[in-house]
Amino acid sequence: MTMTHPGLPEMWVLTIIALMAAIVIWALFVSPPGKKEFSTFSLTDIPLVGGISRYLLTTPWLLFILKLVMVVLFLLIIIAGLYGTPVPERNLATILTWNLWWAGLVFSIFFLGSAWCAICPWDAMAQWLVRRRLWRRAEPNNSLNLRVPKQLRSVWPALIIFIGFTWLELGAGITVDPYATASIALLMVVMATVSMAVYQRKSFCRYFCPIGRTIGFYSQLSVVELRPIDNEVCANCQTLECYHGSKDVDPCPTGLMMGSLQQNTYCTSCGNCSRSCPDENVSWRLRSPSIEAVQSARPHWDEACFMIALLALTSFHGLTMMPFWGDWISQLARMIGDSGKLLWSFSAGISLCIFVVSAFYAAMVFATQKLSPTAQSIKQIFSTFAFVALPLAFAYHMAHNLNHLIREGAGLTAVLLNPLGTGTEPLTMMEKHARHADMLISQTSLFVLQSVLMLAGFIIAIKIIRYRSRATINKSSRAGWQMLPMIMFAAGMTIAHLWLMMQPMVMRM
Amino acid sequence: MWLNGLIRKLLLLVLLISGFAALNASAHHVLGRPAYSLNEDSNTPPSMQVETQVGDFSINYMVYPAFPKAGERGRINLYASTLDTGESFNGTVRFTVRDDSWFAAEEEVLGTQQPDDFVFRQGFVFNEDGDYIITAEFESGGEPYIIDFPLRVGELSAVGPPGIAVAIILLTLVAVSVLQRRKRLGSRVRKAKQEETL
Repeated sequence: MTMTHPGLPEMWVLTIIALMAAIVIWALFVSPPGKKEFSTFSLTDIPLVGGISRYLLTTPWLLFILKLVMVVLFLLIIIAGLYGTPVPERNLATILTWNLWWAGLVFSIFFLGSAWCAICPWDAMAQWLVRRRLWRRAEPNNSLNLRVPKQLRSVWPALIIFIGFTWLELGAGITVDPYATASIALLMVVMATVSMAVYQRKSFCRYFCPIGRTIGFYSQLSVVELRPIDNEVCANCQTLECYHGSKDVDPCPTGLMMGSLQQNTYCTSCGNCSRSCPDENVSWRLRSPSIEAVQSARPHWDEACFMIALLALTSFHGLTMMPFWGDWISQLARMIGDSGKLLWSFSAGISLCIFVVSAFYAAMVFATQKLSPTAQSIKQIFSTFAFVALPLAFAYHMAHNLNHLIREGAGLTAVLLNPLGTGTEPLTMMEKHARHADMLISQTSLFVLQSVLMLAGFIIAIKIIRYRSRATINKSSRAGWQMLPMIMFAAGMTIAHLWLMMQPMVMRM
Repeated sequence: MWLNGLIRKLLLLVLLISGFAALNASAHHVLGRPAYSLNEDSNTPPSMQVETQVGDFSINYMVYPAFPKAGERGRINLYASTLDTGESFNGTVRFTVRDDSWFAAEEEVLGTQQPDDFVFRQGFVFNEDGDYIITAEFESGGEPYIIDFPLRVGELSAVGPPGIAVAIILLTLVAVSVLQRRKRLGSRVRKAKQEETL
């Protein structure tokens, strides 16, 4: 028997759609804004908090302790996965990785940006193994320090690995297989270590890590950023410690220069810049969550493709957890003569989903070009508006994972006390029902949060369309119908996600 | 131009995804995910259950106990029904077993079973722990149907993934160390030669 979570009630969805319609009318008839100076708030400006934040930013100890905790937990996951019970709901590897970490990670991005990357256990293990230093600057001779080949210097490798991992997660079912979960964890360590041993800086974080790149793109919508306190200080800096590192501190792992940093995408929040800056000119700042995707982030072709694929895979994620998904795949399998685990049919499904979302976006890009009063290339419009995909994917990702986190979060204490699940038996149906009923917050609160997230995602998408339309396709102040295709894309994807959220969702384990 | 590039990249993605499928389709474990369950209303031990489909048939396969051990009796229950009408399969099913390893391919017949209340029940006792592949074969409408199911007996040997990971990491670190040492030595020799010529 398959356990499902109830979907978002119809009335809630209709209310969100009505609000969306009002926003669309407003967006079409009110002039889009020009470039605005958004206010930010540096943590160093707050008395006491400023001092504490400065201390935490400049001391390597806090980061080292957090890394150590993460590495211990990570090793525990590997041990539990390899040597513990194969029953997923009784094993720490599957519960901690998929129910808590994977679901919780996406929420941490909104509040803490790419903080996960700073304490990432596979990167920490790779660094300790290759550079043989726990926190101080490593000898350059420990790595071959080669440059990443030009063909790989984009987010395409990360995107391909990301699609592969999604395939493994949803197609091969590693989320319910502790052994496979541990094997994937080991694979991450191997990839990070080999990359660090061969290539300069942290090429794995910048080009290959699918988790890091997803965090990077989503952190464009985060409320925090690591930026210079005074841009003039950076402009006059001759030594560029943030880029080159100092005597004791490693250089920026992804090769960023603080003075020209405009987006969070490749920042790993490691704090090397703040520790190495001789002028103590780097600080965490609070900001509007939409500022970066709306106007600061610069469009790039490969990044645009990653963002569209991210949206497609997020939607696909939700689709595979619908009760009707199995029937669809079963029908497809019979059509193409697939049998067994139906992996060919699943692969066709994931390819089709990526294709449909990309084709929908491409069609709207063509329509935008036709309506545009200025000559713009398709590639330029494709890259410029791809940021619209970010809030749509992020909002649905969070709303979907709220279900997992709040309805399936129970049971963590039991696996922490017995990580390997030694001597345990599978959950009975009664226990599954009890866990299902044991929610962290009430169902109504969950629906409110999900609705707010979906609406917020749509509002940010509309802000992006309005600002970027004005900045690229229609530089006059008049609101234009030129925005309509992109608005249709944002509305279409949001309605598709709302429809998915209305359906009962199959429990992960 | 850009469209050609996009099409090429999309094709590459589809090929990669298909490649993943091909990798697994050629491996043994191509069937449905195992699910473990325990019925609180009966005194039967926990079971491992796999649902899958082959051609026009939906297959449900259960193993009692969920974690069989060498020397202990176990049982496989198989139920097949047509996907269109839900009608239960009523013929005979032949069960065979082979070792799930790279070299051992010797097959052993477990038995041929008639339905018992539409369920095909096959008992087994394994002498050694290990990973096995159970094959169920039946015929319907003149068409043969063959399904492979993985079955683990005893504790899993978990040397593989950590062993491979440690080996790759060690090899990489040693290779990098050797290369860097040669590089340093080379530069020292060049420097010495330069000093000599000066």
